[in-house]
Amino acid sequence: MIRIVVALLVVCLGSAARADDTVTFGAILPLTGPGGLIGTQQKLGIQFAMDRINAAGGVRGHKIAVIFEDNQAKPDQSILSFNKLVDLQHLPMIFTSFSGPSLAMAPLATRKHILLINAGAQADALAKASPYLLNTLPTLGDEAGILTHWLAKSGKTKAAILFENSAAGISGRDNYITTYTAAGGTVVAQEPSQFGQTDFRPALLKLADSHPDVMMVSITAAVQQMAQQFAQLGVKFQVAGTTFFQDPALIADPAAEGFVHTQLQSKVAPELAAEFKTNYHAEMEFFVRQYYTASNILFVALDKVLAEGKPVTGENLRDAILTIKKFDGLVPVVFNSNTATVPFDIRIIHDKQDQLLEEMK
Amino acid sequence: MLALQLLVNGLVTGCALGVVAISFGLIYATTKLFHVAHAGVYTLSGYLAWSLVGHGVPAIGAMVVAMAAAALLGGLIQGVLYAELERRRATHLVVLIASLGTLAVMQNIIAAVYTPNILQFPLPWSSRMVSLGAVRLTWTQILTVVLCLSAFAGIMWFSHRTILGKQIRAVASNPFLAEITRLRPQRIYVTVVAIGSAVVALPGILVPLDLGLQPYSGITPLLTATIAMIAGGIGSIGGSFLVAVGIAVLQNMSLLIMPGEWSIGVTFGIFIIFMLFRPTGLFKGR
Amino acid sequence: MDFLYSYIALAEIYVLLGLSTNLLVGIAGIFTVSQAAVFGVGAYIVAYCLMHDVMGFVPALLVAAAICVVLNVLVTLPSLRVSGDYFVVTSFGIQLLATAVFVNWTAGTGGANGLPGIPSPDVFGYQLESSHQLVLLTTVGSALGCLAFWLIMRAPFGRLLRAIREDELAVAAAGKGVLRAKVSAAALAGAFAGSAGGIYATFLSFVDPSSFDLDASILLLTMVVVGGARTLAGSVIGPFLLLALPQVLSLIDIPTSIAASARQLIYGVLLIAFMLFRPQGLAGEKL
Repeated sequence: MIRIVVALLVVCLGSAARADDTVTFGAILPLTGPGGLIGTQQKLGIQFAMDRINAAGGVRGHKIAVIFEDNQAKPDQSILSFNKLVDLQHLPMIFTSFSGPSLAMAPLATRKHILLINAGAQADALAKASPYLLNTLPTLGDEAGILTHWLAKSGKTKAAILFENSAAGISGRDNYITTYTAAGGTVVAQEPSQFGQTDFRPALLKLADSHPDVMMVSITAAVQQMAQQFAQLGVKFQVAGTTFFQDPALIADPAAEGFVHTQLQSKVAPELAAEFKTNYHAEMEFFVRQYYTASNILFVALDKVLAEGKPVTGENLRDAILTIKKFDGLVPVVFNSNTATVPFDIRIIHDKQDQLLEEMK
Repeated sequence: MLALQLLVNGLVTGCALGVVAISFGLIYATTKLFHVAHAGVYTLSGYLAWSLVGHGVPAIGAMVVAMAAAALLGGLIQGVLYAELERRRATHLVVLIASLGTLAVMQNIIAAVYTPNILQFPLPWSSRMVSLGAVRLTWTQILTVVLCLSAFAGIMWFSHRTILGKQIRAVASNPFLAEITRLRPQRIYVTVVAIGSAVVALPGILVPLDLGLQPYSGITPLLTATIAMIAGGIGSIGGSFLVAVGIAVLQNMSLLIMPGEWSIGVTFGIFIIFMLFRPTGLFKGR
Repeated sequence: MDFLYSYIALAEIYVLLGLSTNLLVGIAGIFTVSQAAVFGVGAYIVAYCLMHDVMGFVPALLVAAAICVVLNVLVTLPSLRVSGDYFVVTSFGIQLLATAVFVNWTAGTGGANGLPGIPSPDVFGYQLESSHQLVLLTTVGSALGCLAFWLIMRAPFGRLLRAIREDELAVAAAGKGVLRAKVSAAALAGAFAGSAGGIYATFLSFVDPSSFDLDASILLLTMVVVGGARTLAGSVIGPFLLLALPQVLSLIDIPTSIAASARQLIYGVLLIAFMLFRPQGLAGEKL
């Protein structure tokens, strides 16, 4: 029974090999379950980049294909998917997101020289997890530092923190606390929200009661619901957050008036956003842009590897990315190490527009 | 001041949770089945209402249609799936797993049709505010309290004052005896699940109207409601409702003395201790 | 062949867990949905011991098993007081409480961030690193578990447990120690779950609460029921089949954005169909 199942698996997967001129990559993302909201956006980003490059003739005549695997944000499923893609499909590179799965796959990537590209998770542990794990998004430290420094400088020295009780949310909180205290501020209160839940009221009520100058937010989803429930409090203090505030639904909501946030300096041409919208009937949200950018970085690296006549391996792709170093896509990304640095702006949501407040280097 | 605000917030959340608890309790007390797919009915009713509102149906109409659809769906699950399992003499564990399968089917149909994105009802009035002293409530929250309390009163009246309600309670207390007296339990079961599903559609629409729709979000309220039902005493409508409100208030008020990370843990910790010492519930069912 | 090895290793870890669940749910009639919590405790203990160089893998595994014995007896204690559906719900509560502890007790479990970089296991001086070495470990572990299960089922103790499930009152009336039998079953199940957790932590080299949540408990229960409750074969077939299912389903080509949800949907349909047409599972006895 078991042997038959396994044999079946091997036969089926083996026969799914692609035609010769196609370069195939993998992506292990949470496509269902509570993480599915974020994972499907990431998938669309990759898909969009892939469709565009293939429509333009591919990379040096090679079409690009991506095999998507659903890990439901679970580490053990990610290991199975990783081994499946690497062992049976011999893929040189895999997109990943969410820190748990990325951290679980990192040792395997090191051992097998498979390039992992993470463009979503920002936990600190990712920076040193594996030489083969490249993060196109800096860990939250940089971004939180810019925000808290700016807040402290503008006289907001008493802060409350609302964070999501998940790996990403907690990293954000920790980085807020470290950098804000270093900049001379005091954190007077902090409250969590549950991942996947949209009821922020109890936490907001308690935070408001600490009468802070500013509430720093570290949540990755449901920002619009948070803003609406914040507006309901009828309090006046500043709300500050990170790139996750660049959610079209949030910006269009009057409840978000006056929110400030850091943001990757990304230049999404209106035509590109429109093209995305016609193809996928959705806005080009943060994670779409992140994985679109990451895919294009990969294509540039692939172009270099092919131009030099080298085989497309995880090692060569990684070396190509680290040698090219600077990528100018939607977001200008620089790889001085495994983890990229990107420029941030401070923006303010005003009159349903996301306006530039200050440009940071 | 904070205590008052948290209290009110807990009461509002608790009313919606209370209706989930009584709807589940109604089904559970009668059919004795752990109907986990109830969480799917809860979620689906919200999405249906959202679709209807999106197509220009007035909010009241959308709500009525969604409740009717939920009743139909619940009746189908009982009348087709559970009845068939019963005919095959399936144990409760088997029915529970079939119910989990049904829940997975419903959640993923929703995710496939509506995407996993959080959807917001396009009704601007829903988030408009009313100030009552230090407490500010949205229209949705006020509506939640009013409608859920009415549903609670309605169910109380229905089960104690109407013939159908009395029949249901008869089947619940002794299906064998009821069968002898020609009450036909299977038919009553379908009716009960249909009614329970229509009732759960109420919080199934009101909660997302307030907090947004998500495909995988039904299981947490259902589990909490189940705990309320057990702690309140199976068969006791008032007991389940009160305990549900109590749990929501406790989860809110616990923030006064400890960080919110632990509010869920503490709730369930208290529940476990409670089960060890008073397993038949606070308000023993009759 | 790492894919095959990692699949077998994971399935074998779940076999140990399946045995644990089967012992409680199938044999002793204690319907628990919190076995993943005990599994998690075993995993965190071994992870902690290895990461802080407290002791080697084998002693750590023994410590984890011992602690989980005590813990499992404690969490199944309510079943002595409340029965049937009441215990199911209590067990739900225990699982949710455990998840809250795993997520929030950052000092011990790493919280939601998890614990990365758990060292590979060492067995009597040998460091097991590659997946074919780890598969040896899981095979030996699960074989020992299966052997123990098989022996117990044939012993008078196994018959006593079955009798309890059939008619607890009659067994008590016959003067047999119902309490002792139930506690022993829970203890044994705890040892299985704890060791499974320890092996899991070193196999993955990373643990976080998502592996030990309510979903995991339910998956475990499903494995046992689909494989077949009450039998050894069932506890082995279930994990192998249910872990292969997502991999097989991913071969079905659904080239749209709904592919992932469609696969989960098929999974739900399969569960329903199984319960309707073969509720005893592939190799089990009727529940």
